[in-house]
Amino acid sequence: MANLEVVREIHPAARIASNVKIGAYCVIGEHVTIGPNTTIGRHVTVSGHTSIGSGNFIDDGCVIGVLPQDLKYRGSDTMMIVGHNNTICRNVTMHIGTETGGFVTRVGNGNIFREGSHVAHDCFVDNDCTIGRSVQLAGHILVQDGAVIEALSGVHHFVTIGRYAHIGARTPVRRDVPPFTSFYSEDYGWTPPSVRGVHEEGIAHASLKKDEEAELRRALYELFDDEAALQTKIEQLVDLGMEGEAAALCEFCQNSLRGKFGRIRESYRGKIPPEAVEYISDEKLAELKQQGIIQA
Amino acid sequence: MPNISEYSIIEKGAKIAKDVKIGPYCYIGPKVKIGSGCVIENNVTIVGNTTIGSDCSIFPMAVIGTSTEGDDDKCKCTIGNANSIREHVTIYAGSAKKPTVIGQHNLIMISSQIGAGAKIGDHVIFANCTHIADGAIIEDYVRTSAFGFVDEDMTVGAYAFTAGYVHVDSDVPPYSMVQGSPYRVRGVNSHNLKTCGFGDDDIRSLKRAFRDLYNGKGALNPQALAKLMNEKRLNVTVKNLIKQIKNSRSRKAKLIRAQRAEDRKNG
Repeated sequence: MANLEVVREIHPAARIASNVKIGAYCVIGEHVTIGPNTTIGRHVTVSGHTSIGSGNFIDDGCVIGVLPQDLKYRGSDTMMIVGHNNTICRNVTMHIGTETGGFVTRVGNGNIFREGSHVAHDCFVDNDCTIGRSVQLAGHILVQDGAVIEALSGVHHFVTIGRYAHIGARTPVRRDVPPFTSFYSEDYGWTPPSVRGVHEEGIAHASLKKDEEAELRRALYELFDDEAALQTKIEQLVDLGMEGEAAALCEFCQNSLRGKFGRIRESYRGKIPPEAVEYISDEKLAELKQQGIIQA
Repeated sequence: MPNISEYSIIEKGAKIAKDVKIGPYCYIGPKVKIGSGCVIENNVTIVGNTTIGSDCSIFPMAVIGTSTEGDDDKCKCTIGNANSIREHVTIYAGSAKKPTVIGQHNLIMISSQIGAGAKIGDHVIFANCTHIADGAIIEDYVRTSAFGFVDEDMTVGAYAFTAGYVHVDSDVPPYSMVQGSPYRVRGVNSHNLKTCGFGDDDIRSLKRAFRDLYNGKGALNPQALAKLMNEKRLNVTVKNLIKQIKNSRSRKAKLIRAQRAEDRKNG
């Protein structure tokens, strides 16, 4: 049998830990950092100013850190940050940030990205999320801890998906999804999706105290189980003096109601979102403001 | 050729302009022509009788010009200038009689697929996972949202917008916004029209025409169409709209499909 030379093109300036396994036909760019114990499959492209943490598994055909699909992008050295212990299945694509969106796309720790899913520019995916097959996250999205998105869902720009929320399969998500809720359309897309129940697994996963869980369940019941206006129900609950997760839920719903089209992050259009502030130096921020790329 | 990676396979006979950049692990077939200024990143496959214009950028894992019939060399695919073809996009080549044609300045986003014999205009943006079936016609300045699906032989009119998850099973009128499942005409794509330089007068008369024609229900009202056609001094854009609606091939295409289904039944 012919002893084929395993070919992979790794830029000499790329900083790659010694025990990283990289498969055949991979292309690793100049400004890439890869942490220890990471495994990378075949035909993987990692380019741009991308840093990948330790213990990740990146399967075949993934494309990470390429240019964003945003017409406003002006070619700055924006970043893509992947945390630790993520599982990234085949053909997943992740893009670097844009100037107007905060310069960074960030994926936290312990997430699972299933085949063909896409993380667009300026997204923030926190920890322990599950992103299903072919899920398309548009730009500027915040996915909070432990959220579960099932296969073929599409998420609109500037949506926030709350902690331990659940989104059913093939759901177009056009507004914020409150934490600990289950969001889908009853007949797979014929009716508009909405909050249809409590995400029991999420509550179990969050390991809440008994009192806190009871309060949260009551708040969820009050908010989403009858037809009265959400605003009045939130006010009633706030008057009762909720604490912990229940209070956070009320605040989330209140923020979403204030936001344009039910999306609080719409207010960050053309601004640096608070999650991105730590990644940008003050000098760069001042420079951008001077050039008029971002609003003050 | 310094711009072409030594790890790529360029078959003999491929005509590639001097300043084209080709990354590693690409495969370029023998009958491919690539214009100047193109940037082809790594792991791209281009086969068949494919012509690519100048200043295109093609991103990793894209596959262009493959045949649905198994013989790549007989198929034809023409791609214009300054297109951006993103990761994991598949563009199938049509037959020699009915090639796949893609215009200029288009942006085809991740995981989209363009079927054999499809005709794509200029300045079109397809969002992620858009599926254009065989023989579909997409006119200029169309925008599709994610997971859109355009059926075989359907036309999406110029400046139209299809929302996410829309299944286009009959022709989409120009200047419109369609949404829902099955889709309904929801109104005028006024934002796109404004950015494309249409005047307020055009947009106002289009809005009026759409209100009459679709009456908020999304289905075409034939009486309103007849009434509108008899009107004198119509706006040019409205005239164009009426012309397109009259020539709408959806019924014909549906008949063809019914015929095909019947043929299949009869074996």
